Order: sequence, then structure tokens, then C-alpha cells
Amino acid sequence: MSASFSVRPYLLLLPGLLPILAFMSLVIGMALSQSVGYFNFSGDSGFSLRFWHTVLSEQQFWRAFWYSARIALFSSLLSVALAYPVALWLRRPFAGSDLVSALIKAPILVHGLVAAFLYVNFISFQGFLNAALVHLGLVARPIRMQNDPYAIGVVILQVWKNMPFAFLILTGPVRAIGDDILDAARDLGAGAFARLRRVILPLTLRSLQAALILIFIGAAGDYSFQSVAGPTSLNSLAQYMVRIQQDNAGHGWNEAAVIAVMLMGLSLFGSAALAALIQFLLRRTGR
Amino acid sequence: MPPHALTIDEASLSFGRFQALKSVSFAAEQGQLVTLLGPSGCGKTTLLKAIAGFLALDSGRIEIGGHDMTGIPPERRDTAMCFQSYALFPHLSVSDNIGFGLRQQRIGEAEIRSRVGTVAEQVSLVAQLAKLPGQLSGGQQQRVALARAMAVRPGIMLFDEPLSNLDAKLRDQVRMEIRALQRQHGFTAVYVTHDQSEALAMSDLVVVMRAGEIEQMGRPEDIYRQPKNRFVADFIGTANIMPVRVIGHDAASGLHHIESPLGRLTVRSEIAPVAKTIFACWRPEDAVLVAAGDETGPNRATLRVLSRTFLGSLCDLIVVTEGENPVSFRIQMHGFTPIAEGERITLSLKPEAIRFLGEAAE
Ligand SMILES: Nc1ncnc2c1ncn2[C@@H]1O[C@H](COP(=O)(O)OP(=O)(O)OP(=O)(O)O)[C@@H](O)[C@H]1O
Ligand SMILES: [Mg+2]
Repeated sequence: MSASFSVRPYLLLLPGLLPILAFMSLVIGMALSQSVGYFNFSGDSGFSLRFWHTVLSEQQFWRAFWYSARIALFSSLLSVALAYPVALWLRRPFAGSDLVSALIKAPILVHGLVAAFLYVNFISFQGFLNAALVHLGLVARPIRMQNDPYAIGVVILQVWKNMPFAFLILTGPVRAIGDDILDAARDLGAGAFARLRRVILPLTLRSLQAALILIFIGAAGDYSFQSVAGPTSLNSLAQYMVRIQQDNAGHGWNEAAVIAVMLMGLSLFGSAALAALIQFLLRRTGR
Repeated sequence: MPPHALTIDEASLSFGRFQALKSVSFAAEQGQLVTLLGPSGCGKTTLLKAIAGFLALDSGRIEIGGHDMTGIPPERRDTAMCFQSYALFPHLSVSDNIGFGLRQQRIGEAEIRSRVGTVAEQVSLVAQLAKLPGQLSGGQQQRVALARAMAVRPGIMLFDEPLSNLDAKLRDQVRMEIRALQRQHGFTAVYVTHDQSEALAMSDLVVVMRAGEIEQMGRPEDIYRQPKNRFVADFIGTANIMPVRVIGHDAASGLHHIESPLGRLTVRSEIAPVAKTIFACWRPEDAVLVAAGDETGPNRATLRVLSRTFLGSLCDLIVVTEGENPVSFRIQMHGFTPIAEGERITLSLKPEAIRFLGEAAE
């Protein structure tokens, strides 16, 4: 084999790569340049860091930032934590396993907004859940559960929507682990927990990370669940971005762009940190 | 008397309607090596998996060291299996694969490293310790599977064709290492192989299986010398099997007289023929070449050489009877024999070389 580096194959990739890169850098570039004062739709455009200064010194922004980070973290961890055991349980087909797996995947077909309204209906003051609780005598009067201040409703919706997604991502790799490999581990003295820790988790680490990252990014940018079911006293980053854009007639777009860049940063670094953490934990316990 | 290291007692097992094991029974003493021999699909792997605990018996039982293993999961049985499919952990290096069972036993790191090193040396894998299984050749992977099982030093070792992927030289070397390890640690082994010479060379007990049943078991020399039926005779070594008619028995000399495709022969057998027409067999190496005019040897027959293959230490001949219905036989002569194809030769068979099989011929 010749060791010389050939450029030709890479050149062939260009027609495909270029448009993708162009569109991506266009969007990111727009957001970045808007955040530093360019493309100002009303008034003069020009380099300025004042939008960054305004947004980052705003306490409400940081509340929204950490709130979105928290929701994204809990949603992704919970979704994967629920999907993983189910994927393991369905690793080997049994009578009815196809039905179970179809039922788990069903939420993918329901639009998030529809689900959010159904959920709010379900838990509302006069809703089914309260009626049932009162009827069963578990509570004396209906409880207020809608738009709860801890955003439990949002996390429930996120998990409901994303768990099937995580399940889909994890199913393949979990099934790909051969019976013989697990048998070999048993034979060498590994009980159920040791098999999980030393064989199954390391072999599915990559898809575990992929599921966490995708769900984290989706949940960090959530707008609809938060609007319908989220706490009224708090904004998610996306919600906050829209509000800022609408509230500030003059430089709304520029400040919103700062928030957009921060949201991208949260998605990027938050999910990377999460993936690294999982890898670190498994490295520590694996082998 | 101490209990057997391993007892299989009327073990039966089915997959759905298909019965893979049919009332299989045998026992092995501590430190013995039992070989399971039989055609593909006869249930060898199934039996090993039942001993290891991956498959539960439908009926019968398996005892290890006198303890009934029914309901005991694989991780709590004192067995280690070398898988036919290798079943290596793809995410672990060779050395971590070999050390897997030792880490599970909570042995100190230093001890693990030294034991992994020792086993790796025994199977010539020292240079591969840092690699992942995906980076190894087939034969190297097979040796990792072997080393991984041997490293835990269990009471019972289960080998499922552990040397099938190795070249002849390496196979000899690893086979000797297995025997040496067995002498050193005294484990009991159940060894599956397709290679009957391996079975004859290594075992204390040979178990010949067919379609989930044991056809015959015994010491290698006994099975080789006195196979029970045509299947066993053919499966263990090469055999010349021929239908014969028993025409008389001479009580004084203990010789049976038979009519065979080779003419009239005398047979010295401890086992009486079970019928008047019956199958008998003899081994290719039992035929002795005699000079054409020599009238001294017993059971002489004149045959024509159909083909001759020189195999180095042996000369392999296919010979046929002359006459209306020619019957062919295989014979082996030691060393170089100056015989040409088409030549007529005279053979002599000792009466004790011919064995009655326990099957009547139609
Ligand atoms: N999980 C299973 N489900 C159904 N049938 C099976 C299963 N495992 C094995 N069998 C069947 O049981 C029989 C015995 O299989 P086994 O693997 O024990 O054969 P073997 O003697 O090891 O053959 P080989 O020499 O080819 O490895 C075969 O006919 C096989 O098809
Ligand atoms: Mg097999």
C-alpha cells in the first residue's frame, strides 16, 4: 500500500459538504454577527459588545439559562434511565414483546403540543386526575397541579416524548450484544449487576451518549412544553429569547441573538459535559 | 469413596419439540478428561451448556463434586467454558479478557497480572495482550477464549472444540499445555472435538454421541479395539466394515468361522456374534502383507490394488476383491511399500484383529 496521502477522495466530498457547511455557517454566522451589533434591522449596524453586556448582566437571563439547563439535564437523564431497562428487558423477543415495543414508541407519533394540551387537561383543576382523586377520597378538594413551580409537568412531558426516542436509539445496540458474550460473563462469575456494569454498559456506551446528547439539546431549546405546562414565574431560554425580541423594539433582534448563541453554547457544552461524565463514570467502574 | 467430580445422570433436554439430549449419563473422576465425540448437531455443545448451567434439563440431573446443580446459576457453578464461538468481550483488551474472571473473584491486581501473563505465555499470546479481540486472527481469538477460561482455574473445564482453528503445530503445543495444566491443577475436563485422533490421544474416557444419545463410551483403546456398531467403528478411526455369515464355532480353540467377502476367515472374539449374519470390522493397519507363495499366515486373501497414496510414514492402499461383486477395503502399511497400482497382493489378518459388531446384517 502506498503511504502517500491522496486528496482526490476528499475533493469528491466537497459538492455534498459545501452546501451543508454553507447553510450551517450562515445560520451560526448570522446569530453571531447579530449578537455583536451587525444586521440591526432598525437603526445603525456596527460592531458593539453592549448587547452581550446587557443580556449577561440581566438576572432574568441567568435564571432562564440555568432553568433550561436543569430541565435538559433531568429530561435526558430520566428518559434514558427509563428507556434503558426497557430496552434490556426487550433484548430477547418473547410473546407480546413486539406489542410492548410498539406501545412504547407510540408517543413519537403524537405531536408535542397536542400532548402538552392533553396533559394540562388531564391534571387541570377540573380535570380527570383531580376528579378521580376526589372521587376516591384521597383528597378533600382538587389540588392545583397545572404549571407547577418545580416544572415537574414539563419534565414529565419531556420524558414522555423523549423516552421512546431513547428507546429507539438503545434497542439496536442492546440487541446486538450476543447471548454467548453474556453467557461467557456469567460463566466467569459475573452476576446480573456485574454483567450490566462490565459488559452491557460499556458495549452500549456510545448509543447511551448519543441518546443523552440528542435529548439534552432538544430539551434545552424547549418552547412549547414550557409555554403550555411550565411554571408561570420562569422562562425557558427559548421563551426568554422570544420575549426579549418582542419587548425591545430597537435592538430586540440583537439581544435575542445573544441568547441564541448562549443557547447553542449550552447545547454544545452541556451535552458534551454530560457525555464525558457518563464515559468517566463507566471508565471508573468498568473493566 | 469420594463423589465423582462430575456426574451426568439421565440428562434430557429439548428445544421445543426437538429433543437435543436423550437420557445421557456418564461420570468423570477428579482430574480426568472426558471427550465428547460425534457428528455435527448431535448435542455436544448443548451438553456442555447444560453442565455450565446455561440450559436447564427437562429431566435428570447434573452433579458437580457430589452436589446437585439443579437451579444453581452458571455464575455460582465451579465451571469455566471455552466457547465454540469464542464469545470474547469486544470492548476489552486481550489481557482484560483473560483477567475478567479473576477480577470477578476479587483477586489482587498484582496476582491478576501475573496469572494473565502465565496463561498468555502458555497459549503464545504475550505479544497480543494489549490488542482488542477485533484486531486478532481467528486462531489468536480462539486462544484468548481458551486462556480466559483456564485463567480462573475452575474445578471443571468445559472445552468446546478449543483447537479447531489452530494449525497442526500450534494445536500440538496448546494440547500439551492443556494436559500440563491439568496435571498441575487437577481440574476435570469435558472436551468436545471433531478430531478423533485428538480424542484418542487426550482422553481418559471417550463418549461417542449420535442424535442426542450416547452410542458408546469407554477408554480410547477399548472403543478403538471393540466398537459397538458400524457408526462407532466408522466414527473412531477408519474401519473396514463387512457383512459376514457365522458358520461355526470351535470351542477348543475359541475360534469362530465366518464366510466373508474376503473368503473364509477365523475370528477370535470374546464377544459372541449376536446373529448368524452380522457385521464385522477390522482396522486398515491390521492387514499384513505376505509374499505370494507364502502359505503360513492366517486368514489370507488375494486382492488387487486400486490406488496407492504415499503419506510419509504410511502408505494408504485401496484394494478390491476379485470376482463378481468386488468389495473394496482400505489398508495401511508402515513406511514405504514398493507396490504399484493394479498389482495383486496377498494379505493376512490375525483372528483377533477381526471384531464382531453388535448389529445383525440383513
Ligand atoms: N437454541 C436452540 N434452539 C433450537 N435448537 C437448538 C438450539 N441450540 C441447539 N439446537 C439444536 O440442537 C442440536 C444440537 O446442537 P449442538 O449445538 O449441541 O450440536 P453440536 O453437537 O455441538 O454440533 P457441532 O459439532 O456442529 O458444534 C442441533 O440440531 C441444533 O440445531
Ligand atoms: Mg457445538
